[in-house]
Amino acid sequence: MTAAAKPRVVVPQDAAAAAATLADCARDGAAVVIVGGSTLQSIGNAPRRCDVALHTRRLRGIREYDPHDMTAGIDAGTTLAEIASVLGRQGQWIPFDAPLPARATVGGTLAAGWAGPRRAVYGRPRDLVIGSTIALTDGTLARAGGMVVKNVTGYDMSKLYVGSLGTLGLIVRANFKTLPRPPVRRLAVAPVAGDLRDRMLALVGALTIEPTAALMVDGFARVARYPGAALRLVLLFEGSDAVVERGTRDLRSALGKAGVAETPLFDGDAADLAFAELIDAYVEAPGNGTLTYRTTGLPSSAWARTRAAEALAREHGLTAESIADLRTGDAILRFSARTAATFAGKLAAFDADVRRTFERATVLAGAPALRASIDAWGSEPSTLATMRAIKAHFDPAGILAPGRYVGTI
Amino acid sequence: MVTSLASRLLEALGPDTVLNSPEDLAAYSYDAYSEGHLPTAAVIPRDAREAALAVRIAFECGEPVVPRGAGSGLCGGAIPARGGLVMSMVRMNRILELDVRNRRARVQPGLINLDLSRTIAAHGIFYAPDPSSQKVSTIGGNVGTNAGGPHCLSYGTTTNHVLGLEYIDGAGAIHHTSLDDPGYDLTGLLVGSEGTLGLVTAVDVRLLVLPESVRVGLASFPDVESASEAVSAIIAAGIVPTALEIMDKLITTAVEAHYHAGFPLDAGAVLLVEIAGPRDDMLAGEAAIARIARQHGAISWRSAVDAAEREALWASRKGAAGALGRIAPNYYIQDACVPRTKLPQVIHEIGRIARDHDLPVGNVFHAGDGNLHPLLCFDRRDPRAVRAVVEAGTEILSTCIAMGGTISGEHGIGHEKRDSLALVFDTADLAAMSRVRDVFDPRRLFNPDKIFPSGAVCGEVRVPVAVA
Repeated sequence: MTAAAKPRVVVPQDAAAAAATLADCARDGAAVVIVGGSTLQSIGNAPRRCDVALHTRRLRGIREYDPHDMTAGIDAGTTLAEIASVLGRQGQWIPFDAPLPARATVGGTLAAGWAGPRRAVYGRPRDLVIGSTIALTDGTLARAGGMVVKNVTGYDMSKLYVGSLGTLGLIVRANFKTLPRPPVRRLAVAPVAGDLRDRMLALVGALTIEPTAALMVDGFARVARYPGAALRLVLLFEGSDAVVERGTRDLRSALGKAGVAETPLFDGDAADLAFAELIDAYVEAPGNGTLTYRTTGLPSSAWARTRAAEALAREHGLTAESIADLRTGDAILRFSARTAATFAGKLAAFDADVRRTFERATVLAGAPALRASIDAWGSEPSTLATMRAIKAHFDPAGILAPGRYVGTI
Repeated sequence: MVTSLASRLLEALGPDTVLNSPEDLAAYSYDAYSEGHLPTAAVIPRDAREAALAVRIAFECGEPVVPRGAGSGLCGGAIPARGGLVMSMVRMNRILELDVRNRRARVQPGLINLDLSRTIAAHGIFYAPDPSSQKVSTIGGNVGTNAGGPHCLSYGTTTNHVLGLEYIDGAGAIHHTSLDDPGYDLTGLLVGSEGTLGLVTAVDVRLLVLPESVRVGLASFPDVESASEAVSAIIAAGIVPTALEIMDKLITTAVEAHYHAGFPLDAGAVLLVEIAGPRDDMLAGEAAIARIARQHGAISWRSAVDAAEREALWASRKGAAGALGRIAPNYYIQDACVPRTKLPQVIHEIGRIARDHDLPVGNVFHAGDGNLHPLLCFDRRDPRAVRAVVEAGTEILSTCIAMGGTISGEHGIGHEKRDSLALVFDTADLAAMSRVRDVFDPRRLFNPDKIFPSGAVCGEVRVPVAVA
C-alpha cells in the first residue's frame, strides 16, 4: 500500500452492505483491499493503490451447521480457531492447516488459496468448499454450489474465487463439507544425521501406514522440538488409535534399523501445538532481513529443491532454512541475511537466481521492505491472458487490490 | 456454410478423421438422453493438434463444437443441439505419462475410466472417481460433468482428483493449467463445465494408493426410510465408509433376477456398505456399522467373505439401472442431491409423487452423499406415461430444492435440465457464470444450449427418455 494516504476503513455489517460498498467504490474508482485477519497479507504484491480497507470482522458466524449433514455455511470473518472450536465439539473439523488460526479468517484463508501439508490426505480447502456467496463490484451477491456434498449445477464458481486474493470480489460466505476429526494425532520428530539422510528419505515412502504429513525441516530452530539437530524429519500420524499406534511402531522400527536412536513423539494436544507452530513458521518473518518463498512441484523433487536453495544461499552469502514437504511437493525456503541492508543490496540478483533455479517460486512472506522490491509471483502462467480477461469481466473498474495478483492483475 | 464446414474439415484432416455422411452422423446425434439433433460433421481426432485444427475451422465457419466421450451422459450433454461439429475423443484414449512415485498420470480424455485403474492396479494405485458407467464412460466426459460415483463419499468427486488440464480455445490454441501454477484456478473452473468453456485434450489426474483392506457388508431393512436413518447414524458416529449405497425392493428384485448376488428379497431396502483402509480399523468399523444398522431396524447383516463376493455385490449395484429392463420397457433416471438428513423425507415424497402419477419408481442411490437416483418406469409408446414422467421428474426436482438440495449431484445439467437451473440460481448467480462463459467462449460455440437456461417461453414439453 502506498504510504501517501491512509485508507478509509469500512466494516460492513452484512453481505448486502459489503456488496453496496464494493459498488460505491467501483463507481468512485476507489481501490479496495479486503482485510480479514491479516495473517496472509504478505502473499502477492502490495496493491498499487488502497483507498478503502474493507474489513470482514462483522461478517462473522457459523451458519447452518448441521453435524449430521456434515456441512456448514460460514461467514467470511469467522476465525479458523472459532471454527475448530465449534466443529471440534462435534468431533469434526475442516483441515485448513493454515498459520495463526486465532487470527486467520475463513474468507482470507480461502482468498489466499492457502493449502498446507495435510492436503495430501484431506484435500485443499478448495476441495472442501461446496458453495459460496461472493459480493461483486456491481453490487450483486452471486451464489454458486449449495449445501450438498455433490453438486454439478452450473460452473464451480467457488473454485475461481478461492485463491483469487480479493481481486474478483469478496467471498462473504463459504459452505463446507466437514470431516470427522481423527481421534488420535501423533507427531514424530526424528533427528537426521548427515549420513542417514538418504535412507530416511527413502523410508518415508515405504511406510504402510502413510503419515498425514511428512516434512524434512532444516533450520527453523524456534519450532525445532529437537533443538540438538538442525535437520529433522517430522511425521504426523492421524487416525484411530490402532492405526496411529501401528504407524509409529513401524516408523520407530524402521528408524531404529536405519540407526536413529531416539525419536521423540508428541501426542494429542502436544502434537497439534507442535504442528501448528511449524505451520505458523511458513509465514513468520523474524527480524527485518528474511524472505520466504514457496516452490511447488513434484513430491519427489521437494527435497532436491531445498538443497538447491541451500547452494543458492551460500553463493549469495545468505542463510537458508527449509521445509521439504515430501507428500505434497511444496518446498518452503526461508532466506536471511545478517542485516536487512545486506539482503537488500543483493536482492535483485538473488531473486533472479531463485526464478532461474525454480520453475515455480512465489514469495510467501518476508520483511515488507524486501518484498516491496521484487515481484511476488515470478514466472507468469501461460494462461495469463485468460486470467486478465476474467479480471476485466469481474472487476471492470479495476478497483480490487490492483496490482496484487499474478501479472500485475 | 454447412458444406463449407464439412469440406474444410475433410480437406484439412481427411475422411478417416472426418465423417459427414448422414448415416455416420446419425450415430453422433444423440447420447443416453433421448432428444437428438444431427451434426454437420463428426471429427475423431488422434491428437490435440488435429483437435485444435478442427476447432479452429469450426469457429471460423461460425459452427458449434460439441465434445463427446462415450455418449453415456444422461442429460443430453453430448447432443449437438445446434448442429455443428461433434468432436469424438475416443481415439485419444492413451495414458500419456504415468508417474507411480508421485502418484499422478497424464491421460487423454478418451481413456475409459475403468481402463485407467485396471492398467495401474499392478503398481498398487488407483483412480478414485468411479461412476457406475465407468466401464464405458471416459475420463474426459467425467471431467466435463465432474462425475462422482459410489466411492466419492470418502474420496470426493472428479474435481478433487484433477491436478491440471490441457484445453483448446476457440482460436484453436492449446493451453495448459495446473493447480501448481499461480493465478486463478482455471482447472477447477473447467472441471464440471460440460464442454462449454473449451475442449479438454489431456487430464493430469491424482492417483491414490490402494487401501490395505476392503470390507463390504450388506444390511437389509424393512423400508428405505429406516435404511436412510441408519446411514445418517453411521456418519454421525464419525465413521466415513468409502461407500454407502441404498437400493429399494423394486431395484433389488430386478438386480437379483439378473445377477444372483443373494439380495434378501423380503426386505424393503438394502444398504451396501464398504469400508477401506488399514486392516487395523476394519473389524471395529464393521462391527460398529452392523450395530448401528441393527439399532435402526436392520433385519439382517451379512459381510462379504472374499473379493469375489464383494465384487458380485458391487456388480449388482453398478448394474442396477440396466437390470430395470426386466420391469419396464423404459425408465427415466433422475439425479438430485439433498442434505443427507433429509433423505427419509425426500424418499417418502418421491414415493408419493410416483403414486400420484401412477408410475412405478425404484430408488438406487448414493445415500452417504444424499445423492438420489429415482428411476421412473414407463413405456415410451404411451404418451400419457411420457407426460407423467416429465411432470413427476419436475416435481421431484422441486421437492429436492425445497429441502435444501439441488438438481444434479453428478450427471450434470446438460440439455435436459438447463431450464431447471433457474429454479436453483437467480439472475445474479447466473450472471456471474455468464461472465466466465464470456471470457472463454464469447460466441457461445462450445457446446451451445447446455447448462444455461434457454430463456425461451415455457410450455414446450420435452420428452426425456433415458435408454436402458
